[in-house]
Amino acid sequence: MGGWLKRHRWVVPYALLAPGVLWLVLFYVYPGIQMFISSFWSGTLETGFTFSLSNWTNYPEALSASSEQFVRSILYAGAATILTFLIAYPLAYTIAFKGGRYKALLLFLVVAPFFTSFLLRTISWKILLADSGILLAPLKAIGILPPEFRLLAEPIAVVSGITYNFLPFMTLPIYVSLEKIDHRLVEAAKDLYAGPWRPGGAIAGIVLGGVLGGVLGYIFEYPVPIWAGVWGIAGGLIGWLFISESFTRITFPLSLPGVFAGSLLTFIPAMGDYVNAEFLGNPSTRMIGNVIQNKFLVQNDYPEASALSFILMAGIIVFVAIYARALGTEALTTGRG
Amino acid sequence: MARTAAAPPVASGRARRAARRVDSASLFVYTGLAVVYLLLPVFVIVLFSFNDPAGKSNFVWQGFTLEYWADPLGVPGLPQAVSLSLLIAFVSTIVATALGTLIGIALVRYEFSLRGATNALIFIPMATPEIVLGASLLTMFVSIGGPPFFPLSAVTILIAHIMFNISFVVVTVRARLEGFPRHLEEAAMDLGANEWTTFWKVTFPLILPGIVAAGLLAFSLSIDDFVITNFTAGKVQTFPMFIYAKYRIGIPVEVNVIGTLIFAIAVGTVGVTTLARIRADARAR
Amino acid sequence: MTPQARAHEEQAIEMANYPESIPTPTALTRRRFLAAGAVVGFGGFLAACSTSGSGATTAPSAAASAAPSGAPASAGAGASPSGKVAWANWTYYMDTDEEAKTFPTLDEFTKLHGITVEYSEVVDDNNSFFGQIRPALEANQPTGWDIVTLTDWMAQRLIRLGWTEELDLANMPDFTANLKDEYKGLAWDPDMKHHAPWQSGMTGLGYDVDVTGDLTSLDTLFTADPRWTGKVDYLSEMRDAVGLTMLKLGLDPEKPTTADNDAAIAEIQKAVDAGIVRDFKGNAYAEDLKSGDATLSMAWSGDMVQALVDKPSLRFTIADQGGMLWTDNSMIPKGASNKAGAELLLDYYYIPDVAALVTAYVNYLTPVKGVDAKLLEMDPEIAKNPLIFPPPDVVARLHVFGPLTEADEAYFNETFAKVTGVG
Repeated sequence: MGGWLKRHRWVVPYALLAPGVLWLVLFYVYPGIQMFISSFWSGTLETGFTFSLSNWTNYPEALSASSEQFVRSILYAGAATILTFLIAYPLAYTIAFKGGRYKALLLFLVVAPFFTSFLLRTISWKILLADSGILLAPLKAIGILPPEFRLLAEPIAVVSGITYNFLPFMTLPIYVSLEKIDHRLVEAAKDLYAGPWRPGGAIAGIVLGGVLGGVLGYIFEYPVPIWAGVWGIAGGLIGWLFISESFTRITFPLSLPGVFAGSLLTFIPAMGDYVNAEFLGNPSTRMIGNVIQNKFLVQNDYPEASALSFILMAGIIVFVAIYARALGTEALTTGRG
Repeated sequence: MARTAAAPPVASGRARRAARRVDSASLFVYTGLAVVYLLLPVFVIVLFSFNDPAGKSNFVWQGFTLEYWADPLGVPGLPQAVSLSLLIAFVSTIVATALGTLIGIALVRYEFSLRGATNALIFIPMATPEIVLGASLLTMFVSIGGPPFFPLSAVTILIAHIMFNISFVVVTVRARLEGFPRHLEEAAMDLGANEWTTFWKVTFPLILPGIVAAGLLAFSLSIDDFVITNFTAGKVQTFPMFIYAKYRIGIPVEVNVIGTLIFAIAVGTVGVTTLARIRADARAR
Repeated sequence: MTPQARAHEEQAIEMANYPESIPTPTALTRRRFLAAGAVVGFGGFLAACSTSGSGATTAPSAAASAAPSGAPASAGAGASPSGKVAWANWTYYMDTDEEAKTFPTLDEFTKLHGITVEYSEVVDDNNSFFGQIRPALEANQPTGWDIVTLTDWMAQRLIRLGWTEELDLANMPDFTANLKDEYKGLAWDPDMKHHAPWQSGMTGLGYDVDVTGDLTSLDTLFTADPRWTGKVDYLSEMRDAVGLTMLKLGLDPEKPTTADNDAAIAEIQKAVDAGIVRDFKGNAYAEDLKSGDATLSMAWSGDMVQALVDKPSLRFTIADQGGMLWTDNSMIPKGASNKAGAELLLDYYYIPDVAALVTAYVNYLTPVKGVDAKLLEMDPEIAKNPLIFPPPDVVARLHVFGPLTEADEAYFNETFAKVTGVG
């Protein structure tokens, strides 16, 4: 047997792949093809659907009818990805470089919330962020917040929900990347470059923070200048205190594969999410996932629902390709080099 | 570069150490806050498992009681939902981990012409919205011929879960495999082991953490899945489906108890194994 | 003006003040006692029934007095009722013994007839459930269910598509005798050959009286007011939201036209744009009312009975302009494996004693005659609850949303989807 294999080495990878690939072909590709065909249908549930290539118009129609939700999904998923990155990176950094014996424990604490039902977690946020809940009630009582202020049924709640749900997806890949970095490189860099990169870091922080704050303010429908200002100041402080040249020149670039993987694992499912928008949002925060669900289940408009699904998937794939190009080579996807 | 040369070395040495201490301290504080943020909803879930609501809904704290802990499976339909979720999670994890690990090994270790296509095949399901995965599977299961061939049941849920888990397993195992020291395998083979023995005695134990991580991920994805399961379940009901159905009127406190139990068991398992490892490391030193 | 008015003349309930008749928080505990006591008494009644061979208080029914293996054979698959019946229903829609964690009436049915009931509370949305059973029905395959309980318009659709089995009314004497008259003669199933009403509910105004004061007009849902602007929930159920809006505009939801729909949608859009509406929700509006995130909402009567226990300051009312009435109906999907057993089970719930037990727990409106009288004996408080047995003047203001053609339904759903943000 060993001899036969040595002579026919080429069989080995295919033999290893076969069972899994077969499963995916049967239960993903085949149904997917059927879905694609159904996006060229016209008709209704009761009069029956008929296939026709001339129904390619389903696609532009679906796109234009739901363009608002598409754009909103990109903005919300993008905002959530950026927020997740900002929260996860320092966390992963601390665990990787300062975790010591407690690395596994800390990592587990990051993943632990996953072991409860995500429905229950989202409902918990509803309880925590309620208008007169434990968070807002004291602030309103003191007078910091006006009584009509609410976090729920607003874009910020939806994005926060998405951010929270995908935090482990961002933290773990970044951690894996950071952990693989040879510490000697970091030490050498620290010796080579003097301390925190204060003025440069501060300027970079102010600019990045300001831009980010402005964008988020726009997405959350809060006053943009205030958000840009607050975030700019915060960014400047962080840049001044923490960002060193050794970080920007050595550590961060080496962690890019993890950042890439984490961003994808966050952005992609976030684009198709609909539960957070349903539980925590309002009619003007609906995402493309809500539209697809509605078209499929309520309106029974299978052609348009399928067309929207494929547009969504195509958009995601295009985005990933551009992102991969921007961040480097295809090697990023495999993590080598 | 010019900047560093100009800075006086002695003063900046102390300043640098102070800066590093501030860095470390603030990072620890930040990590603490982040962990609190992560566990806050979990805390709410656990807390509300002790709630004593007058009516059906468990949204406002009304009083402390242990009565739901005394009988956590006491809602009709709940024990069946929980056991079904656990069963499907276990089986789909084992199968998906096996299939996915094989694919991961093939993708990392071997050069073959269909590599690009395989990569795409692994990646695209992760880019597909769950509602599309679920709906397309449902249509396919029924069109194949329905009962007796593919009655919508636990089997169809299982098939769906294995399907979406494979991609995640592949990604996780691949990350582990890529940093793998090949020279160890070469050394083993130089010493006379054939490929089979090398794999089981050298490679496999070293990639086992990656496989276990992949398995954990698959398990948690399966036990919590709602959308796809909803479409492929037919008559049976899993735990997330149960929660969603009850959410409309009022989630019984028992659900929080079960959620807390699952969480506690997971924490306990990992806690025990981590402690064991720390002690083993200490003994080895 | 609706037939409901005629039927409720039977009831001798005097309703002076709604608030005084709202059940207190002890109602839930009372229900537990009631359930326990009723099961004992009910079991005794059934035992007496089956041994004596003649129903004392119910209409003579072959089914109730038959020995477990009896029952006439009926045409179709599964000759004599036996084996099991699989029933898909909504949650909290069957009397439950909270201590023993069982469904007493279902258990009694099994004891009586030897048929096990696989009761699953898996219906959480008409459309998603339809999406689950549709592929099987389209492919002429059994769905795996013997009974499914869905709301009016979805029942209409199933029947229209020919996806329900025809009921053999000869096997369902209690049903034929005890169904309230206002449920008969519907345009979409005039001979009651395809569906058996399960429970009805009212759609009206739900509000927190401590914040808003007493409200009586649908106008409140559409007018800005510091007491509720930004804290109003609308129902995500198209026929309820559009129906109530039509009533507010003085239109008739029993004869819905596209022009009326457009007017209603415009009115809803105005309220959404003005920031009055917080969100469109299903049953989840009740959570918002209880937590205070919402102070006013379009609401369903059964939910509000429950909500009152959690938050006594909540109120439910049918406004002056009127409210909606809807019914969840049980049907036997095509290809069901135990049609005879299903018919027996459906008929069983038209025995007033059984129906009374269900109503006592579920708190919705019952389609069975004689239940109010039974409950006056068992639990007068429930019998006097205007949310479960509305007085004639309220009933007169209730409307059932009229039938829609497929094209109209698609149009109505599309415009409603746009205004809720998913279109």
